[in-house]
Amino acid sequence: MRFENWLYTLPLRLRTLIRGNRMNADLNEELRDHIDRQIEENLARGMDKEEARLAALRAFGNLVTLREQTHETWTWAPVEHLWQDILYAFRSLRRAPLPSAVAIIALSLGIGLNTGVFTLLNAIFLKPPTLKDPRSFVQLFPQYSGWFTGADQYSSFTSEDFDAIRTHSHALDVAAWQRFPVLFEQENKPISTMQVTCNYFHVLGVDRARMGRFFAETECAHGVGAQVAVLSEAFWKSQLGADPRIVGKTIHLSGMPVVVIGIAPSDAANFIVGGVFLPYTLEPQFDHARNLFASPDTPWLSMIGRLRPGFTRADVKAELSTIMSRQDRAYVERKISAFNRRTSLVLTNGSFIENPAAHTNVIGLMALILGPLSLILLLACSNVTMLFLSRTIARSSEIAVRVTLGAGRSRLAGMLLIESLFIVSIGGALSVILAYRVPLLIMNIADPSEANTAVFRPDWQVFGYLAVLVAAATVISSLMPIRAAWKLDLITALKGREGAATVRSRTTNGLIVVQIALSFVLTCAAVMFGRIPGLIRGVNPGFETHQIVAVPLDVDTSPSNRDKAIVFYRTLESKILAIPGAQSLAYASLQPFSQAPPSEIRLPGQAKGSGQPTSVDDVSSSFFSAFDIRASQGRLFSATDVNVTRADSVAVISQAFARQFWPDNDPLGKVVVMPDDRHLTVLGVVADTRSERFGALDGPRIYTLRDPSEVGGNLYVRFAGSAKPLENAIRDTVKGMDPTLIVTPETMWESLEAGAESLTSLAKIILIMASIALLMAVTGVYSVLSFSMNQRRREFGIKMVLGASRVSIFRSVLFHTTRNIGAGLICGFALAEPALLLFNRLLSHSPLPINRFDLTVFGSSALLLTTVSLIALYLPAYRATHTDPMRVLRTE
Amino acid sequence: MSKPPDLVQGTLDLLVLKILALQPLHGWALSQRLKQVSGDVLQVSDGSLYPALHKLEQQGWIQSEWKPTENNRRAKFYSLTRLGKQHLEQEAANWERISTAISDVLRLREV
Repeated sequence: MRFENWLYTLPLRLRTLIRGNRMNADLNEELRDHIDRQIEENLARGMDKEEARLAALRAFGNLVTLREQTHETWTWAPVEHLWQDILYAFRSLRRAPLPSAVAIIALSLGIGLNTGVFTLLNAIFLKPPTLKDPRSFVQLFPQYSGWFTGADQYSSFTSEDFDAIRTHSHALDVAAWQRFPVLFEQENKPISTMQVTCNYFHVLGVDRARMGRFFAETECAHGVGAQVAVLSEAFWKSQLGADPRIVGKTIHLSGMPVVVIGIAPSDAANFIVGGVFLPYTLEPQFDHARNLFASPDTPWLSMIGRLRPGFTRADVKAELSTIMSRQDRAYVERKISAFNRRTSLVLTNGSFIENPAAHTNVIGLMALILGPLSLILLLACSNVTMLFLSRTIARSSEIAVRVTLGAGRSRLAGMLLIESLFIVSIGGALSVILAYRVPLLIMNIADPSEANTAVFRPDWQVFGYLAVLVAAATVISSLMPIRAAWKLDLITALKGREGAATVRSRTTNGLIVVQIALSFVLTCAAVMFGRIPGLIRGVNPGFETHQIVAVPLDVDTSPSNRDKAIVFYRTLESKILAIPGAQSLAYASLQPFSQAPPSEIRLPGQAKGSGQPTSVDDVSSSFFSAFDIRASQGRLFSATDVNVTRADSVAVISQAFARQFWPDNDPLGKVVVMPDDRHLTVLGVVADTRSERFGALDGPRIYTLRDPSEVGGNLYVRFAGSAKPLENAIRDTVKGMDPTLIVTPETMWESLEAGAESLTSLAKIILIMASIALLMAVTGVYSVLSFSMNQRRREFGIKMVLGASRVSIFRSVLFHTTRNIGAGLICGFALAEPALLLFNRLLSHSPLPINRFDLTVFGSSALLLTTVSLIALYLPAYRATHTDPMRVLRTE
Repeated sequence: MSKPPDLVQGTLDLLVLKILALQPLHGWALSQRLKQVSGDVLQVSDGSLYPALHKLEQQGWIQSEWKPTENNRRAKFYSLTRLGKQHLEQEAANWERISTAISDVLRLREV
């Protein structure tokens, strides 16, 4: 039938379907009307009453048959079948409420977790930030090529580039921002600010402030930098207790007072970064180290824009490319460096996943998050499969009757699919609740301060994802039942003997293997993440962490300010040492628990490029004593080494360095060549520390002696006694010297603790999910086993009658299941290891202790799963082997 | 019935559509009209009209409506839809072509 016909007849057919009774009444009336008229006609022809009636009926034909024939023209076979199947599914659900409820709960958890997390990922990664006309919104990424390394890189725009685009572009209305960390003094805690151009909210599509106003154009005038701030709703609520009279009040950020002029509503854009918005022209006042407006060649601004009416993205790209190539020419003519800059632009919709620099990582991350979650769904599906499989077996004689009466395979498959769809749809509908709740729950665990204001609306993408999940779950969970129904042995089934539809042991074995494998992966993830916070807290880095405070300083050490900086540092040093408890000061160029790019260290005579990558830490002479790192060989730097000629010629190496360069010889007195061709003599060897990654020994490391006249670097204070008073004293000292310089001194232990704390919440989320998975696996394994035990009950009965003891049967069942568990664990390992490798690669720059192969994780997960599934095995196996063989066999 | 049923059915549909194309009619009037135009050629019971009518309706070629007739009775009137009109034209053309072809064949004489 053509489409047009469908369009026309669809309502008709729906009407027949829904209003069948009414149509029947109509038909009866119509037929009666016909006969009545015929009788009248006959009467008019002169027949008598009875004769007229009989003649009319005769001429009409068989009333019953005709009615039936007419009726058939209404029926719409597929829909009616569908309706029957749905009714049937509903009835069988009602008949077995408990297993159905378990399956539905499993499914709604599986689907709900997936959709919920997807809602979150969708909001954070996939959606453009703006809600208002996303099609006219663009984010710009400059890709710079012509760097001497030959590699292209994505970066930000310089303020000059931004100004050029803003003044010359006709097609695009642009705004820019930079993130900048500051100290929120009221709470004495570091927060992130967005330094934005004053049209930022307008371009983002947020037109009205929740309270107060947004920035006025004059507040972004160059060199002025009005000291005003707009707060995000999340920040306002979590940090300022939603103070209703906040507008007009002053808050202090890193020593600068700013007046709050407005609140940006959370729900006006897809994802408003929490925090404080400041005019970007305040940047020089906050950044003590440099003035980015004065350095035209430093890229620092990210850019978004709105298409002006009548322009397309292609127009924008063409126009901006022209502007940027003009900027490139000017840049190269200024001859700032060897950088022969050529810029090409990438336009995106502003979503995080389209960010060209982050694209691959985001995809990897999403795969790592959604992958394990889909395993939970698969586990739920295997639960449902079991439900249907046992139901198919129970219904084998009914199915056999259907087949003998001519139901085709497709009809049979359709029936089972509808049943599965029915259950999955109920689960899916319930999961919508989770889709709304889960993102909030996760945000709550991850960051309680932001959660109450974060808005995550499931959109069509989320519901599309949900639909795909429901479809996939339907098909997956009905595959095996359909197979079982197709393979039905008709003769035995019709004779009414049980076991006619034997589910091959391969199927049940397969189900167990799959469930064990899937839950193994999830358990591994849980064990791995659950261990991390403990690992971080329990780490012994090989140096002091409790009695040493890091003082992060932000001081302009550029040549023009050098003299002032030297005075500042020297005064600070003496003031800190005067604080009670402070024992010594140390400087180092590397920060513990962060990774720095290695340098190339050579032996004398080696050509450049043939050396070994090594971490170089430029430390003051007091470093080793302050950090409690002891010499294992030779001696450490002493105060006498600190004259310029000596400092240029000595080094201390780590044991890993010694092993790498001189595996067989004594390293003392040997000479190494630095990247700048300095020749250094090895004075001593120290033990390896664990300072790059938690719990992992560092690679080769060389300590060079810091030039005492140098300023800057990371400052550490060794102290005795308790930490808090000292930290406060240091903060007050710094603030007393420069009121705009607010620092948060922390002991190494405190920052470790903070890191562990933030990971604990992540571990909690994963732990919850893995527990759900484990629960599903246990119920799954239990139902598979009790199903297969039930199937084999007769077999056990016969065996027992033939003389097998209960124990030997129990033992064979145990052996069989253990083999399946083992196979499952191996499959699970095959799934988990590649995921772990991917994870390891994604985290290669973080200090997290993620090994490529972790025996503890795999071992403990395997142990846990084996125990749990053996417990699940016990009950069904016990029941099967302890039934009376005579009772089982009586049905034979 | 002397003719194969599907042939009767096919021609019946065509006749019904053609008659309804001239004016909307209720079932009984339609059956009288059929008898009138086809004489005794179409030997079907009065009632077999109804399955045919309902099928045509489900296919969207005709539509029905309850309307009052003489002396306060009501009857279900059938009329042609736009789709039905198109279908009738097509089918009539088909019929034309086939019957011409068949009569041409039948007119052949042995030589």
